[in-house]
Amino acid sequence: MATVSVTTAISASQPLAASELAHACGADTEWVVQLVEVGIVQVTAAEAPPERWQFSSADLQSALEARRLERDFGVGLDAAALILDLQHEVRRLKAVIRAHGLR
Amino acid sequence: MEFKDYYSALGIDRTASEEDVRKAYRKLARKYHPDVSKEADAEKRMRDINEANDVLRDKEKRAAYDALADRVARGGHPQGDFQPPPGWDTGFEFHRGPNQGPADHADFSEFFSSLFGEAERRGAAKRNYRARGEDHHAAIEISLEDALNGAEREITLRSQETDAQGRPSFKTRTLSVKIPAGMHPGQFIRLAGQGMPGHGGEPAGDLYLEVRIAPHRLYRVEERDIYMTLPVTPTEAALGAQVKVPVPTGGAVEVTVPPNARSGLKLRLKGRGLGGKQPGDLYLLLEIALPPATADTTRKAYEQLAQASASFNPRQHLGV
Repeated sequence: MATVSVTTAISASQPLAASELAHACGADTEWVVQLVEVGIVQVTAAEAPPERWQFSSADLQSALEARRLERDFGVGLDAAALILDLQHEVRRLKAVIRAHGLR
Repeated sequence: MEFKDYYSALGIDRTASEEDVRKAYRKLARKYHPDVSKEADAEKRMRDINEANDVLRDKEKRAAYDALADRVARGGHPQGDFQPPPGWDTGFEFHRGPNQGPADHADFSEFFSSLFGEAERRGAAKRNYRARGEDHHAAIEISLEDALNGAEREITLRSQETDAQGRPSFKTRTLSVKIPAGMHPGQFIRLAGQGMPGHGGEPAGDLYLEVRIAPHRLYRVEERDIYMTLPVTPTEAALGAQVKVPVPTGGAVEVTVPPNARSGLKLRLKGRGLGGKQPGDLYLLLEIALPPATADTTRKAYEQLAQASASFNPRQHLGV
């Protein structure tokens, strides 16, 4: 018998709070503030207090990747931001190639 | 369950220093990173080396794993029949330190979970530590149709418990997951309270499922947009036409191919992509399919076309 669980899709209407993003990455809110500073995650109003920030699925994906890069490669968040930008570009280009049936 | 040799997964031996583990991991992670690797089994290899790294980079886990490996070597377990002996980790304690990052064990093997899953929890309990359970992460692959229309899917999760003899045993539980309509690849579904149990009476963590879309026979997905190749005849492309096109939500729609359409032209059906309230688009990439010139009548028609368009040189820009 399957247990029915409460499921929420992380979306614009149900975003993650800074504390939830931090918990999902095994980190604290201070770390999320650093992610915002280097631009790994995007907030509409960086000057607003962190309790008011909202994050999307894309932010969670980037934050998880940044956490792994930090832990496994010992990179700083500035370098992680650059690696993630390059990674997104590689994935975007690969998707374009696939979408056009070229591979 | 297989006994996993973490040292050979990283290509190092038992005497390897912390620095050697780090170097070996980084080298292999670059080789097998799914974004850059040309190896066919890159994703699986990456999981294996991540798991080996999680144990060997951590002094406490490595010491306990080494001790267990010695016991296994003396005891001679048959291949594939490994069960951790009771109390195998006595005297060792595992911490989930602040720098350990996300609890991404959901990707790891049964062998790993049976050794370190429960032990990490016990370690936390012993230290009288109170905190919400860690969040877990996993991926769920769904069909394009399910992503568009929403669906209910069952997923099986393994959790580990200790039996009366103190031996770790597995309990599988099935969860029914409601997938909302309009999910796009990379979007997360959160299952409240389905992560790791809480410590010291605090609530359990959540489980995050990352949505992946399975390859489709007709459609290709790029973020929120969907692409399909639409074959048309030379006549349809030249004169324009109304053609029937299947749409991923089911059924078909009539689409206008404009006159003088070229191969590769992109027709956009606005809002027929993925993404719920802010949907992407469905793009049709025109591909001109030539009727074969085998029958006499078709041959004749092509010959007439050649005469009628004798002044048309498609290679003019090549200078010939």
